[in-house]
Amino acid sequence: MRSNIAVLCPFRLDGGLITKAVSLCQNTPLRVLVPHCDADAAMALGAKFIHTVDAVCLGVDEQQITQWLKEFVLREDINIILAPATVRMRCIISQLAFLLNAGLTADCIDVSVENETLIQIRPAFGSTQIATITSHSSIQIATVRPDIFPVIPRPCKDSIVIPETFLSEGGRIKQLSIQSFTEQFALTQAKIVIAGGLGIGSREGFDKLHRLASVLDASVAASRSAVDAGFAPYDCQVGITGKAVKPEVYLAFGISGAVQHLAGISGARKIIAVNKDKHAPIFDYADYAVVADWETVVDKLLEELS
Amino acid sequence: MCHILVCVKAVPDLNDVQIDDSGKFHRSTTNLQWNIADLSAVEAALSLKDIGGTVTVLTMGPAKLEAPLKELLARGADRAVLISDPALVGSDTYATAKVLATAVQKLGHFDLILCGNQSVDGETGQVPPMLAAALNMPCITNAEQLTLNANQICLERILEDGMAKLSVELPCVVSIRPYAYTLRLPGIFALRKAQKTPVHCFGIQDLGLTPDICGVFGSLTKVSAIEKQFHSRRNGPKETNPDTGCAQIIRYLQEVK
Repeated sequence: MRSNIAVLCPFRLDGGLITKAVSLCQNTPLRVLVPHCDADAAMALGAKFIHTVDAVCLGVDEQQITQWLKEFVLREDINIILAPATVRMRCIISQLAFLLNAGLTADCIDVSVENETLIQIRPAFGSTQIATITSHSSIQIATVRPDIFPVIPRPCKDSIVIPETFLSEGGRIKQLSIQSFTEQFALTQAKIVIAGGLGIGSREGFDKLHRLASVLDASVAASRSAVDAGFAPYDCQVGITGKAVKPEVYLAFGISGAVQHLAGISGARKIIAVNKDKHAPIFDYADYAVVADWETVVDKLLEELS
Repeated sequence: MCHILVCVKAVPDLNDVQIDDSGKFHRSTTNLQWNIADLSAVEAALSLKDIGGTVTVLTMGPAKLEAPLKELLARGADRAVLISDPALVGSDTYATAKVLATAVQKLGHFDLILCGNQSVDGETGQVPPMLAAALNMPCITNAEQLTLNANQICLERILEDGMAKLSVELPCVVSIRPYAYTLRLPGIFALRKAQKTPVHCFGIQDLGLTPDICGVFGSLTKVSAIEKQFHSRRNGPKETNPDTGCAQIIRYLQEVK
């Protein structure tokens, strides 16, 4: 059986994922499902069959969307599915995989195809391990960490755009309102992250980190123990149970460096740690370490930078 | 009256995971604790129950989870169910969802099924939506701020770039964000009562399941290799003079474009 690979990103194009999928296809055509407005972009990346849908029309009833995708997958005889691991797609794809009796691997950081088998690579146990996972079902599915592959244009000359229609039938899930936030997004995209741990000691301590952050146009992050202690809100938690960040500089104050936290910062270009405990584990993982009281250093930085 | 089921998972303490050189994970020797997001889900259920209803907690795992389940009874759950069977070892999310769905159907009618958004060990978050698919219920993931009115639940779902307020008809499956709720402490009477309340234990036969659809045999995915990944040690220089340290930090910050 020949691999029939498809990328499903009906809400938002993940260009890197399409580039990756094109490379997996070799000489076979790639099928994608993207919003109407992204048809040209998908073409420029080398997709052959471009199915498009009105992303707004899809609505919020993911049970219905799942049913619709199931019919789409069966109709087009797709047997390898890749989708970005966003909150919504992870929910939809899990339901889809179950209904299709398809093996599913979550949040992969790399994928390849060998002899029609999808080889899926993902971190495990708090990124202390890297697991290679394969499925032995006739349909194989992976969600892939969003936007991690580079976007490489490779225009496909004979692309075919196929508009699809989705008809919603008074679903069981309704959207009452939506509020977009810029700040949470800012943390995962920030170039400088100022992070505090349990060592910060209080909410007031975090206020000081916020002052430094505003001087540097940086985002504030916290370790799990600082969040547990109530010094900072969960939304700025970095680590396994929080967000993963990838700034140019990660400045960690009063953070000891538990595995759970390190898992969220491995993408940082430079890690600078300030801790008064010279044995703090985070020092082993830092590019530069300052053994000193965090507040002394923050005060000095505020003085120098303001 | 709202009958709520909460699925909970015991996970290893990730700061104390014992993995041998071949990459095999020793679940039996590692300390288990309830997954943090699942405790958030238990509290979400208990606060909804305060208006009236029942809370059942359900887990799948080793027999030694009986005592930790009693802790959840002490916090206010009415019934605790443990599915434990050697045949379940090695279940992937697909097999797990099938077993949980079978158990849910056996246990009776539930208006609402809550789960933690994802476990800290597997980190897939796949079981709640798969369970929903198995039960033909709608599913909302990454939720908080649940309120119940009549036959629907209103909640907030956190997405990458925003927060959606949604309403969903019961019965449904909702997965709760870690830290969205802080689990209440047990009361002294509740503690005593919990000790006397039996934990319902089922093996796969009790659920009418056969070994071929459980554990490794019932799974569709297989871990073909696992290797230790060390967070890359950067071992940068250590500075003990705060002035010199600050000057160097500023140099690093100035390099940021």
